Amino acid sequence: MPGFLNRLAAPLVFLALVLLATVTMVLDRGSSRQSIDRELPWWQGLLLEIAVPIQSVVSAPFDVVREGWQSYVDLIDVQEENGELRGRIAALEEENLQFREALVASDHLERIAAMRDDFETPMLPSEVVGLDVSPWFRSVLVDRGYQHGVLSGHPVVNEQGVVGLITRTSANAAKTMLLLDRQSTIDAVVQRSRARGILRGVGSDVLEFEFVVRESDVAVGDLVMTSGLGGIYPKGLRLGQIVELEEPGGSLVQIARVQPAVDFGRLEQVFVMLRRGPTLDLLYGPNLPEVSAEPDVLPGSPPKVSPPVDSAKPDPQDGPIETAATGAGSKATLAERVAAAPPSPADRTWFQ
Amino acid sequence: MKFWWASLGVGLLALVIQGALATVLPPPWCPDLGLLLVLCLGLRWRGLALGLALAFVLGFSADLLSGSLLGQHALLRLVAFASAFVAGRQLNLRGGIPLVAFVSTVTFVYGIAVALLSAFFLDTGWPPASKWFDALIHSVVNGLVAPWVLAGVNRLSVWAGDEDGAVRSLPIEPHRRAL
Repeated sequence: MPGFLNRLAAPLVFLALVLLATVTMVLDRGSSRQSIDRELPWWQGLLLEIAVPIQSVVSAPFDVVREGWQSYVDLIDVQEENGELRGRIAALEEENLQFREALVASDHLERIAAMRDDFETPMLPSEVVGLDVSPWFRSVLVDRGYQHGVLSGHPVVNEQGVVGLITRTSANAAKTMLLLDRQSTIDAVVQRSRARGILRGVGSDVLEFEFVVRESDVAVGDLVMTSGLGGIYPKGLRLGQIVELEEPGGSLVQIARVQPAVDFGRLEQVFVMLRRGPTLDLLYGPNLPEVSAEPDVLPGSPPKVSPPVDSAKPDPQDGPIETAATGAGSKATLAERVAAAPPSPADRTWFQ
Repeated sequence: MKFWWASLGVGLLALVIQGALATVLPPPWCPDLGLLLVLCLGLRWRGLALGLALAFVLGFSADLLSGSLLGQHALLRLVAFASAFVAGRQLNLRGGIPLVAFVSTVTFVYGIAVALLSAFFLDTGWPPASKWFDALIHSVVNGLVAPWVLAGVNRLSVWAGDEDGAVRSLPIEPHRRAL
């Protein structure tokens, strides 16, 4: 009998662990649908806590070499680049002046100023200390966690545009799902023509922008911005630029390839926006976390995120809910909660 | 048991280092040290039940450091370990080329399994062709790194006092013919 049990031990352990892994996956998927607060328990967060300092130390020499090389390469072309930049500054100043005149003339300046006030979300500078350990997923580990006020559902940006979304946090670390991840879906709009669509990550270094062909004016070179309608990302953040258009054929939906605004290969410092979008807020709880006294939070001084330039009225149709690793709740629940709880004035820009 | 704990420590360290290494090497060119370690441990491990537990813990740790669902890598590394355990006893993987071929194949199949699970649980759809090309490169890179990782596992085994296992790293029973 003991011999028989010994022979069965390994298959039983295998089956038990397969079952455990499957149940864990199902529960994790379920928790992403039902609760946005995905702060890891201490025994799971421990690994992230250990990983952050070690990864910082391990990547330090690589960073020094990379920065040195980049500085050298940058120096080579600096004079030529200076000339080009002076020309561009002059052109942009002229363009800026024209825009200001146009805005004043159309009485939009006041509205833009109000939107700017709303955009002054506290930003928390964070360092990227590690990338995803699996090539099948695109996420990064940053060195700020819930002790600094970072919660899952907070958008992450840098000076180039949208980086991604916080999906899990421990005390001093947070996992950020990048735009490039195949789970990332964002409601987006083409800046020039206001054509709306869905921007998806496909796991590679380009994104796919799906839009309805009918009446949509989309061209190569157009800038793609967040629409704010998904309720996760604020409106007007830069996402990328269209680099290729697929032939629609007979389909109503056309796909454009988008080069992300953010250079994910050189991602070092990012800013966590310390607020969640109203969709997540209405579904899952209060917007602002209990932020600890944090000297390096930058209240009211966001990085050079592309300005909220949207001025056209949004499409009255409901846009698809942005999804992320956080997932989206059921539409019925959302509708009920939206009806029950009107958005706060602070959420105005998110619903523009 | 010392070997078990040593393998766990090295496995966790490998995951953390891989996260930092990935900031320098783009994803397809960065070897999956965690998966490689599980495969190499599977090739030379003797007690299956403890080895499965180790693979599960390492896989779950990878889940914590990755954008995957919790349990996704744990499940797949469990299966990868079991397949390496069986292959190590049924196939002659002593030479470099068979080992490279085996690890490359398992890595590619592992990628397919990740894509299937993601499509099922996360509704992400099937990855585009470019992703599969990257997966192919990644499989080859993993295969090429495998002999070094296996050598490291053998050294770890000797250090942990498991000399018998290190000498008889790929036991082939005499009554069975190697394929």
